[in-house]
Amino acid sequence: MIFRTPKQTGEWVNRDKKINFTFEGEAFSAFEGDTISSALWAAGQKVLGRSFKYHRARGVLSFANHDVNVLVTDGVDTNMRGDVVTVKEGMALFAVNTKGGVKKDKNSYIDSISPLLPVGFYYKAFHTPRRLFPLWENVIRNAAGLGVVNFNYPRILKRKTHSHCDVLVVGAGPTGLTAALTAAEAGLEVTIVDENRQLGGSLGYNRAADSKSVTQLDGLLSKVASLPNIKVIASAYAAGYYPDHLIPIVGESGINKVRAKAVIVASGAFEQPPVFRYNDLPGVMLGSAAQRLIYRYAVKPFNNGVVVTANDYGYRVALDLLQAGTKIAALVDMRSAGNANSAAELVKRGIKVYAGHCVYEALASSDKLGVRGAVICAYDDKQNVALTDNKFTLECDGISMSAGWAPAGALLYQAGTGMQFDYGVEQFVPSRLPNGMFAAGKVNGIFELEQRVRDGVRAAHDAIRHLGLQAPQNQAEKHVGASPSHPYPMVPHPKGKNFVDFDEDIQIKDFVNAAKEGFDNIELMKRFTTVGMGPSQGKHSNMNAIRILAKIRGLPVEKIGTTTSRPFFHPTPIGHLGGRGFHSHRLTSLHDWHQANGAVFTDIGAWKRAAYYPAAGQSKEDAIQTEALAVRKTAGIIDGSSFGKIEIHGPDAALFLERFFTGEYTDQKVGSCRYVMLLDDSGVIADDGIASRLADDLFYLSIGTSNAAAVYREMQRSQQIWQLNLGLVNVTGAFGAINIAGPAAREILSTLTDFDLSFESFPMSSVRESQVAGVEARMIRVAFVADNGYELHAPMAQIPHIWNALMQAGKKHDLRPFGSDTQRLLRLEMGHPMPGIDTDGLTNPFEIGAEWAIKMNKPYFIGQRSLVILAKRPLRKQLVPFVLADNFKGEMPMDCNLVVDGRNILGRVTSISYSKYIDRCIGFAYVSPDKKEVGSVFQIRTDSGSLVAATVVKSPFIKTLKGA
Amino acid sequence: MPLRLLKFALSKEHPAPRFFKAHETPKKSYDVVIIGGGGHGLAAAYYLAKDHGITNVCVLEKGYIGGGNTGRNTTIVRSNYLTPEGVNFYDASVKIYEGLSEELDLNLFYSTRGHFTLAHTESAMRTMRWRAEVNKHVGVESRVVGPDEIAKACPQLDLSCSGQAPILGALFHAPGSVARHDGVAWGYARGADRLGAEIYQNTEVLGIDVKNGKVSGVKTNKGYIETKQVLSAVAGFTPRITEMVDLETPIVIHPLQACVTEPMKPFLDTILVSGSLHVYVSQSSRGELVMGSSLDPYEVHQTRSTLDFVEGLTSHMLDMFPFLSNIKVVRQWAGMADMTPDFAPIMGKTPIEGFYIDAGWGTWGFKATPISGKTMAQTIANDSAPDLIHSFRLSRFEDYELTGEKGAASVGH
Amino acid sequence: MKLLTCPMNGTRPLSEFIFGGEYRQAPDQDTCSDAEWAAFVHNRSGAPGDKKEWWYHSPSGTWFIAERNTLTDVVSRTYLAGQNNTTQEEGK
Repeated sequence: MIFRTPKQTGEWVNRDKKINFTFEGEAFSAFEGDTISSALWAAGQKVLGRSFKYHRARGVLSFANHDVNVLVTDGVDTNMRGDVVTVKEGMALFAVNTKGGVKKDKNSYIDSISPLLPVGFYYKAFHTPRRLFPLWENVIRNAAGLGVVNFNYPRILKRKTHSHCDVLVVGAGPTGLTAALTAAEAGLEVTIVDENRQLGGSLGYNRAADSKSVTQLDGLLSKVASLPNIKVIASAYAAGYYPDHLIPIVGESGINKVRAKAVIVASGAFEQPPVFRYNDLPGVMLGSAAQRLIYRYAVKPFNNGVVVTANDYGYRVALDLLQAGTKIAALVDMRSAGNANSAAELVKRGIKVYAGHCVYEALASSDKLGVRGAVICAYDDKQNVALTDNKFTLECDGISMSAGWAPAGALLYQAGTGMQFDYGVEQFVPSRLPNGMFAAGKVNGIFELEQRVRDGVRAAHDAIRHLGLQAPQNQAEKHVGASPSHPYPMVPHPKGKNFVDFDEDIQIKDFVNAAKEGFDNIELMKRFTTVGMGPSQGKHSNMNAIRILAKIRGLPVEKIGTTTSRPFFHPTPIGHLGGRGFHSHRLTSLHDWHQANGAVFTDIGAWKRAAYYPAAGQSKEDAIQTEALAVRKTAGIIDGSSFGKIEIHGPDAALFLERFFTGEYTDQKVGSCRYVMLLDDSGVIADDGIASRLADDLFYLSIGTSNAAAVYREMQRSQQIWQLNLGLVNVTGAFGAINIAGPAAREILSTLTDFDLSFESFPMSSVRESQVAGVEARMIRVAFVADNGYELHAPMAQIPHIWNALMQAGKKHDLRPFGSDTQRLLRLEMGHPMPGIDTDGLTNPFEIGAEWAIKMNKPYFIGQRSLVILAKRPLRKQLVPFVLADNFKGEMPMDCNLVVDGRNILGRVTSISYSKYIDRCIGFAYVSPDKKEVGSVFQIRTDSGSLVAATVVKSPFIKTLKGA
Repeated sequence: MPLRLLKFALSKEHPAPRFFKAHETPKKSYDVVIIGGGGHGLAAAYYLAKDHGITNVCVLEKGYIGGGNTGRNTTIVRSNYLTPEGVNFYDASVKIYEGLSEELDLNLFYSTRGHFTLAHTESAMRTMRWRAEVNKHVGVESRVVGPDEIAKACPQLDLSCSGQAPILGALFHAPGSVARHDGVAWGYARGADRLGAEIYQNTEVLGIDVKNGKVSGVKTNKGYIETKQVLSAVAGFTPRITEMVDLETPIVIHPLQACVTEPMKPFLDTILVSGSLHVYVSQSSRGELVMGSSLDPYEVHQTRSTLDFVEGLTSHMLDMFPFLSNIKVVRQWAGMADMTPDFAPIMGKTPIEGFYIDAGWGTWGFKATPISGKTMAQTIANDSAPDLIHSFRLSRFEDYELTGEKGAASVGH
Repeated sequence: MKLLTCPMNGTRPLSEFIFGGEYRQAPDQDTCSDAEWAAFVHNRSGAPGDKKEWWYHSPSGTWFIAERNTLTDVVSRTYLAGQNNTTQEEGK
């Protein structure tokens, strides 16, 4: 730990606990609390990563996760942020995206051929000849990318929590802490969040060798701790702003979704690098990064450094470096005037200060892995010209850079804040804040510590008033003195490699060339150069890109504007965002029974339905035929509990049905059932079912499974509009249903009820209420699957009791359960098309021959007016029942096979099955209207392409073909 | 390294010229005014010049070119639609795309990866079968495959989807591709510019003059332009343009969101879509996972992001790829999708003479860019729409002859 | 997540609601032309602006009307259909 300084006040490492780990196979030791970067830097390891495009050696730049120079893998996880991830005992770390190690990356040859790879090079080559592109693409894909994904990484389910507060303060620097205290002292519930492990922000490290700020910080922190209405969330970041002040706070353990009544953004600013040749060498870092290394981790950034600055901040950094025991070869101030007072103080300490100079280039050590010196020359910062005549070299092993700031305004932008460029601070500042949003401190263009504290109080007062309480209206702070940011800290160099975006290896000339090619507005430039598109999302690069473009175009910065800010503030793990998976399923009360009896389940809407019950070794097809035969020969029983079930109560119930469905219901007798068909406004079939009239003012509706919720919803809406005298109750979950069908059904059922089941007392299409197996049930005689069938509707919890009683009673009749797949075959045999299977999203009733279900002489029903129009139009297609040849032995057509006539598509098969009972292949198909007559023959093309003839027959099949 | 990159190394000055000229103020009149500098509008300008010799054309873009849905979509190109009309149309688009990098001399990274539409339910399998049958009939390479074949193409995919929604099969569409969306807009812009069309950015249309049922001119923030022919190719802004000419359409705007992870080394070679899980995903040539989901459920003329979207999408991504827990989403964004009731576009002539519409592109506009440009150019040049887009005419709604793409397009990018 | 105020149940997260499309008056189907009806069925006033919309609060089964600006996504009022005198300001 050769770069470790003596103990620093407030340092974040625990010197009593050593941590051992390896990096690229080499052993290192660290203190508990070190980040991966600080531990390596303390040990003198300066090459921490390789860049995305050119594979250049990289070290610490922002040391704040504002760049991705240091991305490592521990063999389990990938793209770990070395700057902020703490090192743990036994970690075996490697840099991502190298070939042969970080020091000897074989891909570093790309850096030397970079002249061949100008901005947007991949648009300009590799595409001709066309056949070679896949080869090039492979090369490019493999060269790109960062870490390697670990396919064995566990699925991690992170908790999501929700909380509410009056004021959310984002950023716990001096501004945010003050704002939080002010709001809390007014009695508000305050949450303050900071991405760092410890609160304090720049108060902790921007010291200029003076420990006063530490005392000030301690004072603030103890006050915060004393107030119970401040909730502190550290080590977590506000990931984005979503409407109505929803802000997800992402921490190690999961996401906390905070809904705040007001938000104070005190998120500070990102330090921006000045741009000069080789400003990316390991050892060249931002001034604030140097300060963070020193005060948080007690690590010396280098031994003998050059400080280059284009604002007053660099002078403070210089003092901090000296305090840490670093020699300073010189301070170079890019501003022609410099800062005489601060310079004098440094000169007093024997430091050379060059105002009006720049670092023209950093000199790489012979292995290109570090800094050996800095070339200094005079600089005209108004004209942006390096005057190289008298350039000279200073030996150094590191360079600290300060040039200015960009507001960490992501949340403000995302909330819709209007931002304008303030030339007093050379920065975008909020000019029009959305309701309930407040900004303070550096993000608001206020940099002086005392002013920031006052700005925090001011913002808190604004927030307090926004929440309807009394608070003074403080005057807005205004920055005075030298600008904290330089308007153009970019040193031209004919040989380039002066980096603007370190994620994407973008140099000044890339912008110039992009503009030459016409990509001269900020959004196009972003897309063409990819500036700001890396994982840092432009935190260290967007501002300089805007300045460069402004210069190229000769426009003021505010005319260039910014690119759109989008979530997330930091890249956010999928496991955090995804959290627990929610897959809601609905199960009937017979689910366990089905499972125990070997059912194969299928998903229908949200429901799990038993599809069929194969015996051991039995195929699906056999199982379905066996179940269907049982219904035809003796009896079968199916769990219909998933059907939609809706009650319509009230004097207007029949009128409601008449308006809602296509049929007539006002004259429907109590105790009888009628078919219902629902259309949409355009006349398309939406669903069908059965309406059973239980009383003058009570209908019981049973409809399909998958649409039930939607149909009920539309019934509610219609009722809102029509305001009829009735109530609607969705009893889908309250009632279960069993359908017992087949020749023996009546006999089986009769053993469980005293009710007279004779056809006279209980004819087809009627409903009766009676006890079945001791349970009050609604019995409906319907003929969907067989002429002799009974639907029994009863409270869901009682369904298993009835089911078991029926199974018991049916034993001697070989009563078998059948599933929804079998039901489809049975329904087909009965000649009933199924909405959603035999119809699609555009089918109207005429196309399935359902004129019988439409009562056009009613005053109104949904879809009626469209049917009037459709009736005048030629039919486009017609659903017909068909059979294949007797004893058909060829390749069986399947549903969705097309009905073709040469190259013309006439329609398609919607249902087809062999029926063992009928001993024929039967089905429904859409055909052109000229083929709709009974006896017409049409061709179905099978999967393999052969044509199979089909003949239109009269339905129901069971009657036509079997005479049943 | 290809030789064509040598010139960049050898010349002192950056040797590439501007993609398109920077014009300041539009002329007094043009033969054709194209509203919308996205892929569609620029392609129409290109084909008007190239196929029909009509070059007195301007493209008006209120922002920057390719900045709308062209630059916001997830770049999937495919033709495995449900209706024969749709399949024919998108297949023609795929065919142009395949040679487009060469034609425009710009590498669009048109990368044919194969496209799997995963089916987790029997009813989804039915739709896959239906699409496969229609595709086959038209001559488009789509077929239903089982889990084995999916596993072979994408071994990392959890076929059980964490036990929640086991994959029963998929519609495999071999021509399914991805491309650099920006490049498509820029390539067409350059092509159109070189052939004589003029492109105006930051130029907003404020009104369209119609006299006696005929278009006579366009008001812009850069002056008035006389013209007899106007093409509206503005996707999510369509209702604002059609309102200017009092034209009613079924179009409703819903945001469509997407997000992208940080780059990682390539592992996903195919394009995957799951209707049940509302996910579509591919890995870009930079190594990012580009992911999208279904439409936002309500109308908004905005491109805001929602947390619900990214939470739902990532949850379902984890069902498919459980090992992605610690892979990070960098950015989410949105576009404004111009939806139609039948999920098919609205293209061709309108009741207003000289006002042509290219809209209703919902979530499927990018893949149609070349063919929509070509057919709209044809429509404008001949004042008559070609057969290929007859089914997409605006009057189909009045005629109750909708096109019925809903089944293929719902989450099927 | 956005918040929406159900007139019966108060302010709830948007995930509890289902969008029901624009609130529209159908033309008189007995007197309107086929073209007018087709336009009503298919066409929408898609341009951005203040709209009256149907929204459904799913857990309670409540349909209501929201007046919302489709450009800014700001809801100004919500009320039950037919009761648009009841003003309910949404938190702003």
